Amino acid sequence: MSDYEGGPAGEDELSLPRATVYKLIGEMLPDDITCAKDTRDLLLDCCNEFIHLIASESNEICEKEAKKTIAAEHVLAALQELGFGKYVSKVQGAYDEHRKQQTEDRGRKSTKLSQLGMSEEELLRSQELLFAQARMRYQSQATQAQSSGSTPPSTSGSQ
Amino acid sequence: MVTFEAAGAPGTATLPAARVRRIIKEDKDISACGADSLYLISRATEYFIDSLVREAYEFSRLDKRRTVQYKDMAKAVQSIEQYDFLADIIPPVVPLKKPAGGRA
Repeated sequence: MSDYEGGPAGEDELSLPRATVYKLIGEMLPDDITCAKDTRDLLLDCCNEFIHLIASESNEICEKEAKKTIAAEHVLAALQELGFGKYVSKVQGAYDEHRKQQTEDRGRKSTKLSQLGMSEEELLRSQELLFAQARMRYQSQATQAQSSGSTPPSTSGSQ
Repeated sequence: MVTFEAAGAPGTATLPAARVRRIIKEDKDISACGADSLYLISRATEYFIDSLVREAYEFSRLDKRRTVQYKDMAKAVQSIEQYDFLADIIPPVVPLKKPAGGRA
């Protein structure tokens, strides 16, 4: 359909990627056990349905709290409400790990700059200084070129 | 008993977040879903797959089969109350001896 934006080619409906789900199924079963193809596809449909179910319930809980965005606690409450309470502790654990990783990533990104030992203001000032120096160099080269009457200086620097 | 550990490092999800978000957004009633919630829903879905696969596998094992089939899924869905929402997707396998009321 031409008005369907995004989504992989050949899929009529929005669903989880087949390959990923097949892989998960494979990992969950013992090595000598297989899953029939129609069963795998069925599982895929069940997943999509599950996502809709949890999202819908989370949304209801979210609306009851007069909030606009589904928050983590809404999802956890929804799981509990729908009888998937046994997932809550597992999901919670994974969630805590996830948040920890995110903070670590953020920490790592800012480490380089913070290691310089300069505050943001100092960094800005030194940046301005570098720009000013570069400007001066360029201008002095330009004036030299004019006074000697030669062709404008190349950007490769002075010899 | 088959256990499922996260395929990637703990704290990461296997299901693609963008796709999960798009599936959620299909519901017009939902205005916004936070990134954290998205992550939770993805993880919960992975655990859901794990549970369902394991339960279906149990039925195939009882039948001494090496392949998990449709009917194993159907039985799993029938036997667990939380999976009632899947009843439309997986109509229960009706044994031939006991026809449902009203059927020939």
